[in-house]
Amino acid sequence: MIFLLRRLGFYFAAFMVAITLNFLLPRLMPGDPTTRIFASLRGKLRPEQLDVLREAYGLDGSLLDQYLNYLWALLHLDFGISTVHYPEPTADLLFYAAGWTLFLVGVAIALSFAIGILMGIYSAWHRGGFFDSVFTPINVMMNAFTPAVVALLLWYAFTMQWTIFPLGRAHDINLTPGWNLASAGNIAWHAVLPVLSIVLVNFGSWHLGMRNTMINLLNEDFVVLARAKGLSDRRIRNRYVARNAILPQITSLALSVGYVFGGAFIAEVVFNYPGLGKFTLNAIESRDYTFIQAQLTLLTCSVLVANLISDVCNVVLDPRLRRAGGH
Amino acid sequence: MIKRLTILTTFALLGTASTAFAQEEVIMRMAPVHTDAHVENYNPYNLSGPQAYVQDFAYEPLWIYNVWHPEADFPALATSFDIAEDLKSVTYHLREGVVWSDGEPFDADDVVFTYDYAKAHRDYPVGFDFYEEASKSGIITSVEKLDAHTVRFNLQRPDSLAHLNIGSIFPLPEHIWKDVDDPRNYANPTVVGTGPFTEIRDFSRNSFKLCRNESYRENDTNLVDCVEYPQLSDNLQVIAAITNGELDWATDGIVDPDLTYANQSEHNKYWLPPDAGTNLQLNTTKAPFNNLEFRKAMSMAIDREGLVDIATFGLTTPAKYPIGEGMFYQSWFDEAALQPYEYLMAYDPDAAMAVLDAAGFIDADGDGWRDNPDGTPIAFDISVPAGWDDWVNTVQMITENLQDIGVNAEMETPEEGAWFENMPTGDFDVYILWTNLSSTPWYTYYSMFNPNAMTPGTLNEQSMHQMRIPAIEEDLAAISATADEAEQHKAITEIMVEVAENLPVITLYSNPAWYEYSTRNFTGWPDADNPWVRPNNPAGVHERVKVLLSLTPVTQ
Repeated sequence: MIFLLRRLGFYFAAFMVAITLNFLLPRLMPGDPTTRIFASLRGKLRPEQLDVLREAYGLDGSLLDQYLNYLWALLHLDFGISTVHYPEPTADLLFYAAGWTLFLVGVAIALSFAIGILMGIYSAWHRGGFFDSVFTPINVMMNAFTPAVVALLLWYAFTMQWTIFPLGRAHDINLTPGWNLASAGNIAWHAVLPVLSIVLVNFGSWHLGMRNTMINLLNEDFVVLARAKGLSDRRIRNRYVARNAILPQITSLALSVGYVFGGAFIAEVVFNYPGLGKFTLNAIESRDYTFIQAQLTLLTCSVLVANLISDVCNVVLDPRLRRAGGH
Repeated sequence: MIKRLTILTTFALLGTASTAFAQEEVIMRMAPVHTDAHVENYNPYNLSGPQAYVQDFAYEPLWIYNVWHPEADFPALATSFDIAEDLKSVTYHLREGVVWSDGEPFDADDVVFTYDYAKAHRDYPVGFDFYEEASKSGIITSVEKLDAHTVRFNLQRPDSLAHLNIGSIFPLPEHIWKDVDDPRNYANPTVVGTGPFTEIRDFSRNSFKLCRNESYRENDTNLVDCVEYPQLSDNLQVIAAITNGELDWATDGIVDPDLTYANQSEHNKYWLPPDAGTNLQLNTTKAPFNNLEFRKAMSMAIDREGLVDIATFGLTTPAKYPIGEGMFYQSWFDEAALQPYEYLMAYDPDAAMAVLDAAGFIDADGDGWRDNPDGTPIAFDISVPAGWDDWVNTVQMITENLQDIGVNAEMETPEEGAWFENMPTGDFDVYILWTNLSSTPWYTYYSMFNPNAMTPGTLNEQSMHQMRIPAIEEDLAAISATADEAEQHKAITEIMVEVAENLPVITLYSNPAWYEYSTRNFTGWPDADNPWVRPNNPAGVHERVKVLLSLTPVTQ
């Protein structure tokens, strides 16, 4: 119990440091929201109008005042108004984008994990075999691919060269998403390429991790015992080896899930997918301080919560941790 | 495997089924600004995006200047205007019988209201050039309603060009805006305008439409029912959308149009006429840029054909004369007067080196680079924002050209925000920069040579060179103080000659006006054979509504 309280204390401190950095980092970048507008209008804006605009964005008052205002607002879960998408409340945009990111990255992580783990099990069991010696090197290579190249190649090949898939977006422009089959089909169809672009560069690492852990376990005594007992190969592979080997993979899965809200900005930018990565990138480019703050806060919370959950699980699963915290 | 394929095809069928709506209305799709998500903000003076959607289409100015053909302007809310004999006022005759889209009549009161309102809310960028007693800047002092359809703007001093500022302003409906206390932050949810498209329809974060204003005066000749704005977040997506036929009209940069765009469909068309110029702004307050011979050598050392053909993919137009502007104002050129300066634009590294040798720019310390005549070394950076590819290529090539004649020039690529932030400080060597355009060269040169904009700290980007040329200042004043076009032409020629003589900036080329269009759904687009109007559609090109109204839908 005391262990958990200590952890909670640590998380609170980490949270405070994080939200302070969230406030400072965007402001340390050169330029402010007005410069982007000026840039996009190349010479069509008179300098007087630029000054007016700067004032309009509330970029006055001391940094401390702005910080206190920010903390106060945060306490009330008020994320402010987006300067780029004025007058949309930042929270609305954030949750809109978070929903699509959760779907896109969630599906992509689940698929990468499932495919990678299954391939890992198979190639570890038949190590040195045809499958292992062909796909393991291929996956090492896929894993090293630049995500932007994969996404752009998929995009160019399947939307421009062969117009099979839509150019982008989460669904058709005229569709109002709802809980019905037509919406689901439309959304799934639009998600194929972005999901594929993430899965292609990600499943390799799950494959390799699972394969290596499993190969180590195959030489353990309990595996030898299981064989001696005359258990079926299938049972040893799935119940004994894979089950043990998957534990470290699940720990890294928990970490990936924590970072889901970082978005998959490359897939989102290339496929014009309305996720957090794309919105955040644009917010950074255009210095939309409120959105950057809100997004970083969400990311901070999700990573901390994911960690907390894995801490709690560890305490539940591992008695040594309980004792270590208790003395 | 078979199962997976079935799932895929099911998705495919569902995906296509929902797009098959019957379309009876004629919809023209364009994307004048990039955005990640649409927001419900239709404020005509919100410069971060909404202005690009509602100006010109929903709100009309008093006068639409035909920037390419000043003799064929388009009267809008005013049917004509007179400049007083003494040039100290401009009188507008407003169109009679115009109603706002909610049925209220439009008259002189709305214009007067807009002026007073803009004056009371100085943080709202309506754009009137008010005269400021304190700084002695600006021009307009007051507005008067002469009768229900006549208004007069009074000026602080004689100025024949003040109408360029006043005529481009979009009057606001008094009966709506009088109740708006904070116009800057007002989202204007219900559009009440006089233009051809005022009805917002089908808003979502992915798209919205601006549809026919039933009370618009030219409805019987307008064949387009709605303008649709699909959400697109960058250049690449806009070009992809028009390439695949999901857009009819675009105004985005394109790298290799014949290879990636025009060959994809017979309907994919483009035309890239010269637009704003590109110059090098030199910091003439310090060596070596304070030396005219050095500036001349710089100009002669640059391979402009290479810049046009290679650095900018053959899409720009080379500048003919070193006048601080490309070919946009070619109808103003006095070839006889400018011809003696043409040699400064020709690539001639040997001549450039001879000029440097003669002026004492030689390698004194033996490090392989030329030094100033007083022996101090020359080393400078040319600054261009990272990611502005055509300009990065340009600067890269220029530094190579300069290195060839022994000048130690390097490229510097700061992040865009930092590049902008550094502009007003005056702490720089060389910047690559655009020029400002208007329907006369006056505004271009005024922004380049306005002495009030040359103070480091509050430096305007056009006058970064900080070179005051009294003859140009006099000519600029003379132009706005006369309505005689011959005299204006003469003074503009003098200004061009002065720029060529002094080289405060190094002229490079004209950027293209990015203009891509599709004949899949509409015909009647302006093109090289029919250049009656500027054809692209970013905010600020007010003629774009005239292009839209001249289109003919293709019957399918």
